[in-house]
Amino acid sequence: MNFAPETSIDIASAVNRATAPSAEAKIKVEKLNFFYGDNHALKNINFEIPEKRVTAMIGPSGCGKSTLLRIFNRMYQLYPGQRAEGKILFDGADLLSKDLDSTVVRSRIGMVFQKPTPFPMSIYDNIAFGVKLHERLSKAQMDERVEWCLRKAAIWEETKDRLHTSALGMSGGQQQRLCIARTIAVRPEVILLDEPTSALDPISTSKIEDLIDELKQEFTIVIVTHNMQQAARCADITSFFYLGELIEVAASNEIFTNPREARTRDYITGRFG
Amino acid sequence: MSSLARRRATDYTVKVVSTLFAAVALLLLAWILWTLVIRGLPAMGPHVFTRITMPPGAGGGLLNAIVGSLIQIAIALVVGTPIGLMCGTFLAENGRNTQIGNAVRFVNDVLLSAPSILIGLFVYQILVMPFGGFSGWAGAAALAVIVIPVVVRTTEDMLNLVPIGLREAAFALGAPQWKVVTFVTWRAARAGIVTGILLAVARAAGETAPLLFTSLGNNSWSLDMNSPMASLPIAIYQYAASPFDDWVALAWAGALLITVGVLTLNILSRLVLAKMK
Repeated sequence: MNFAPETSIDIASAVNRATAPSAEAKIKVEKLNFFYGDNHALKNINFEIPEKRVTAMIGPSGCGKSTLLRIFNRMYQLYPGQRAEGKILFDGADLLSKDLDSTVVRSRIGMVFQKPTPFPMSIYDNIAFGVKLHERLSKAQMDERVEWCLRKAAIWEETKDRLHTSALGMSGGQQQRLCIARTIAVRPEVILLDEPTSALDPISTSKIEDLIDELKQEFTIVIVTHNMQQAARCADITSFFYLGELIEVAASNEIFTNPREARTRDYITGRFG
Repeated sequence: MSSLARRRATDYTVKVVSTLFAAVALLLLAWILWTLVIRGLPAMGPHVFTRITMPPGAGGGLLNAIVGSLIQIAIALVVGTPIGLMCGTFLAENGRNTQIGNAVRFVNDVLLSAPSILIGLFVYQILVMPFGGFSGWAGAAALAVIVIPVVVRTTEDMLNLVPIGLREAAFALGAPQWKVVTFVTWRAARAGIVTGILLAVARAAGETAPLLFTSLGNNSWSLDMNSPMASLPIAIYQYAASPFDDWVALAWAGALLITVGVLTLNILSRLVLAKMK
């Protein structure tokens, strides 16, 4: 472990308490500042995402948690006027550096969005689209990959007989699990989840939460959520953001039972937000 | 109570008046169609499709005009569709809120509403005068200028309807922009884009003015794109004003033909749209 905390928040010990044996940092955010034009949206963020753990980011709307998530896979670069300063180390390379190719970054750091976004094509092609961007597979290998990721996303049984029908005909919950399958299919190392269940009913939500638990065996997961029970249930580490600042990071059971910061306590007990 | 009665009366009046005016509009349309069918149908026959235009009384048809129209429209489409499609794609994918995007959009809107005779004169200036004569190429070029702005507009509008989230999802898988556009956004908007192209064809099929100054019309059989070429709208224009009964009848037949063609295209585009939804 080689933590060099730039901040008073003791991430290393939080991680240790949460998850023995301890996990290496997969992503390391150092002195990150982010701007939407003149709007200073993230202020001097120092943050570490441990490998093969679930890290939740919570906080009231507009606190910058989704913004941070979208920096990790460079979504912000699609929009002129948005800019990031500082460093985000991902396996030693700086994610903000122009030398890294965005398409490669995104193949290693996948993302699932708030609303299900199936492409207007068959279930099979939804998955094959992403895979074909990065690998050349034979038909048999592709079939195998499709089955593998649909099984991982716990949706194989529901889809195996309709792989070549349009993905638009699925229910919202199924579509969202397809989107997760599609992201897994590219075999990323990190999966970013941006409020993945906020558009879903409780049953679909619990299926996706179970899935997150499964996936952390293999993937590093970062989830933005407005649902604090969800963070408490799914995440090993929870971080609280407020007005563009990272207020507190701790093991989930700790932050929800005994937060150190008064603002964190006020938020999780529902006094604002 | 009296206020309720008054509101009901107002509601009733507005409903009746609007239905009435809708009926008037429909009636006019039905009248035009009816006249076309009544005058055009008796003039129809195999000779319209098998014989070329001939002097009055010789029993000519419209074969050369039909073929000329098809060729010029086809070339206009082959030239105009890719330009329109790419331009519309640029506006929707890269040109939102940019200066160059706004400029292109403005110019396109002007072109879209420009009188078509101006387009004919423009092509006359650049393709007829310098090359020493009217030609099928010039006609096709003029029709292409008609096609382009229609395709640009519909393509941009249809692509703008595709949610940003769908594009972001494709980018998030590591797709470069050209793949996002070709495999995801175009696909999501394809029904609307195809409809736009069909509507552009319909528009080009009925244009007379741009052809008057470009392909001129030709009363003999010619597939030579370098010489004047016949077309349906010009044949109608020429025949309808003539004093000969058989020519006038042929004009009606041609008008019916274009109308049925355009109507079929419109219905087809609606079917395509409905099927893809």
